[in-house]
Amino acid sequence: MSEGNDGITRRKFIRVAGASGVSSALYLYGGCRGVATRPGKGGRSAANGKKVIIIGIDGMDPRLCEKLMAAGELGNFARMRDAGGYHRLGSSIPPQSPVAWANFITGAGPGVHGIFDFIHRNPERQCAPYYAAAETIPALDGWEVGEHKIPLAFWPFNHQPAETVLRREGTPFWDYLDEAGIPAWFYDIPSNYPPSPSRYGHVCCLSGLGVPDLLGSYGTYQHFSEKTIVDRNEAGGLRKPLVFRNNVAKAKLIGPDNIYLQKPTATTVEFIIYRHPSEPTARIEFQDQTVVLKEGEWSDWCKVDFELQMPPFLPNESVSGICRFYLQEVHPDLTLYVTPINIDPSDPGGQKITEPANFITRLSDKLGLFYTTGFQEDHKALANRIFTDEEFRQQADYVLKERLNLLDYALEHYDDGVLFFYFSSTDLQAHMFWWDSDEKHPVRSADDAKKYANVISDLYKKMDNTVGNIARQYGDEATILVLSDHGFCNFRRQFNLNTWLRDNGYLNPPNAKSLLDPRRGRLVDWSRTKAYGMGLNGLYLNLAGREREGIVRSGERDALLNEIREKLLAVRDPADGRPVIVQVDRADQAYSGPNVFKAPDLIVGYHRGYRASWATTLGDLSKEVLSDNDSAWSADHCMATSQLPGVIFSNRAILRQNPSLVDLAPTILQEFGVEPPGTMTGGSLFTSAVTAGAG
Amino acid sequence: MEAVNWLLINGANAVLWLWGLVKSLLVGIFSALDTVLNPVLSPVLALLNPICTTIGDAVYAVLDLLPVWLGLTILSALMGIVMLVAFRYVSNQAAIGRAKDDIKANLLALKLYKDELRVTFQAQGRLLWAVLRLQRYILTPVLVMLVPMLLCLTQMGIRHQWRPLHPGEQTLIRMRLAQDAGNPIQVQLEPNAGVVTEVGAVPGGGELVWRIRGGEPGRHTLRFNTAGQVIEKELVVGTDFQRVSAARVGPNWTGQLFHPAERRLPGSGPVRSIEIVYPGVDSWIYGANWWVLYFFVISMGAALLLKPLFRVRF
Repeated sequence: MSEGNDGITRRKFIRVAGASGVSSALYLYGGCRGVATRPGKGGRSAANGKKVIIIGIDGMDPRLCEKLMAAGELGNFARMRDAGGYHRLGSSIPPQSPVAWANFITGAGPGVHGIFDFIHRNPERQCAPYYAAAETIPALDGWEVGEHKIPLAFWPFNHQPAETVLRREGTPFWDYLDEAGIPAWFYDIPSNYPPSPSRYGHVCCLSGLGVPDLLGSYGTYQHFSEKTIVDRNEAGGLRKPLVFRNNVAKAKLIGPDNIYLQKPTATTVEFIIYRHPSEPTARIEFQDQTVVLKEGEWSDWCKVDFELQMPPFLPNESVSGICRFYLQEVHPDLTLYVTPINIDPSDPGGQKITEPANFITRLSDKLGLFYTTGFQEDHKALANRIFTDEEFRQQADYVLKERLNLLDYALEHYDDGVLFFYFSSTDLQAHMFWWDSDEKHPVRSADDAKKYANVISDLYKKMDNTVGNIARQYGDEATILVLSDHGFCNFRRQFNLNTWLRDNGYLNPPNAKSLLDPRRGRLVDWSRTKAYGMGLNGLYLNLAGREREGIVRSGERDALLNEIREKLLAVRDPADGRPVIVQVDRADQAYSGPNVFKAPDLIVGYHRGYRASWATTLGDLSKEVLSDNDSAWSADHCMATSQLPGVIFSNRAILRQNPSLVDLAPTILQEFGVEPPGTMTGGSLFTSAVTAGAG
Repeated sequence: MEAVNWLLINGANAVLWLWGLVKSLLVGIFSALDTVLNPVLSPVLALLNPICTTIGDAVYAVLDLLPVWLGLTILSALMGIVMLVAFRYVSNQAAIGRAKDDIKANLLALKLYKDELRVTFQAQGRLLWAVLRLQRYILTPVLVMLVPMLLCLTQMGIRHQWRPLHPGEQTLIRMRLAQDAGNPIQVQLEPNAGVVTEVGAVPGGGELVWRIRGGEPGRHTLRFNTAGQVIEKELVVGTDFQRVSAARVGPNWTGQLFHPAERRLPGSGPVRSIEIVYPGVDSWIYGANWWVLYFFVISMGAALLLKPLFRVRF
């Protein structure tokens, strides 16, 4: 992964090349200046004791909430509901987490913040996909010396080092609080990586959803096994073979790429596994550390230092990561799972995941090591059958335990102003365990499906307890808002939008297999293609003057969009005649703002039970338009916005009709007497009015 | 630029190669020295360590009445004074005085006759000679005091470097085996109230490693049965400040020096050392690694402060 300070600065260069006392002093001076004093403890803030606590529970579904409240199982939420503090909450178009949380952050729709899907495409490169919320820009230049290329970020070279930039636009609501001197604390806030800077120093923020692991991915586990024959790189993980001689095996943990090489290659750390000849135990040794585990045990977090080799006249750099080992099996075939290598919160190096940068080490000083990636529950290990259901549940439970510890810290260090805390568990566990019908589950028996669906109910009860504790602690002293970004439903059938476009003559040739990947077969002929799908809900026209090889003229655009829209809404599942798509929004009608030009032309909203197929999201086509979802990822929310509202609970009566995510930012600002800016499209939840549109 | 790169890379490679050579030479020399010194120093330390530990226990029995930082401060200051007095009697104070006077005189000459080139060069030469003489006069007492100082520091180390295992806290026991110990070797850790064995010995890499948790508080003796031989190792569980022996080592003088609290292991047995990975003491004053720095600051400060009182020159 490449990060902001990968280049060699003059300060660093002078230091490594044999620094003088003066240069060291300058370096220390510069380092100390970076440590901003934050509000909250000591001294009275401009919030004057006013408190607003926001708990973000990703994917909490109103139907399940209402069912559990009716059964008397969510007592604390039910109390809020009885006092008028409950409503279904309109999500974003489409109801995807990065889009929805960006709505929450900016109080405006995607036209303003510019995030329309997990995945966007670059029309200048025809349809090359990229992650919508952040982008890593590689170093443009550098000092080429031997095999290395070292950016020198100082005069006269001024090389531009590699940099990760936040692509979410719009002004986050906390900027207005910051300006007004009101302290605000954000823990695991999604759609804010790298964290936006705090101009006045009143904001502390730990980035959540969107933070990558050290490999630059959203979580790449490493799995070592005697059963594995050859190295395999599968979506979300790496499988490596283990060969034991006299019960000793050597293997390598894969780390980040050495970006100082002209051809970056992955760094590695060797480890040795000693297996007990007869007992189900083993020992793992690496970098002067020893982990002793029994079969079925997890290690604590371990630090791993990956060395980035430099030219011989410069000292090597190192990047610190953390991981946990899980000894799945010892005999007959030893199998070891290693979590994605997370950024080390005690030594993040150049990886900025908090604002201010030292906030992460302050957290780590108190809490030790913890997950820092945005996706903490390793759903890919379950989807790839590395984990059993039970193993995934255990790992997810551990994540929740860590986050509850973090919440304790957050509450302990909170005096007044805004406190936001985010839970991902409800979303990522629901993707894997949710099942709310009698239909056959894609991968589980009926009994197991029911058993694991109860995991979600239990999780809601834990959230209810957590919110209850906060409500008891603060009572009427604080305005408490509990919200989810969307609901949840079964993901039973998958729809390949690109295959549908091909079968309806919008995408050619008729035997095309992929938009991008020649390994899958015949590529699309762009000179005969009018539309294509990219991302989970996006449909783009191959527009002349916008797409590199566009053919659709602007005069044809409206008619073509309306035609495709009508046809999509008419799609029925041949298996049972159910409608597949219930809502198709035109970007030019659904959105407004300076970033509408980035939006897909149509946003396809699927019926409950249906979603874009796995293949179509990155441009691959399949034989059938509709097929069963046979993945352990058995539930989803990337359907139609109208089908999957979220929830909003408050300890105050919610008066606004049809509240939506965009209402939260103005509500928070108005609680502190700050006038919401004109860019915000919503209004306060505590005044009676109607939100115009979710956006 | 190509030429500069070539020069930088090859120059650095040459330096690294030379440094590797020097390191290998130094390792060879120290290894040879160790072979010569070990038969002499190991038995000496085996005799001295119990005496030093008894003295250390007695001193800390008194200091334990005070907060740990205060105890360390008093001990460091007292040792500074003892070193100062010892220095006075071990060193040649008159010669040191003369060297220091020469340094002062030549510094003055440099200041007064800065326009006189000949005098300046002469003064610089004399200054250098006086500094070298001073170093030589200081070296003798330093060498004399080195041995008692090291013994004192290791006694402090077994109290300030590691802390006892808390009840319920997890750690590892590592038993390093002799090369001829046999494979596989059977070692049984006898049940003991002070320890909960979580994972039994995992062999490999010339050692056995157990994962344990601290049991009942107290000073316990762990007993390892191996091939009819019983080997003991002390384990301390508790939450208070106590002496902790992190390792029991075989007849190896460097190991014995740093781990003086337990008798050395027999050289002929299958076990070379037993180590308990205790956590470090957590304090920026008297905790792991910091205590040494604090000790030197306080002891040197005390010595410098009381230098005029004891009429010592250095």
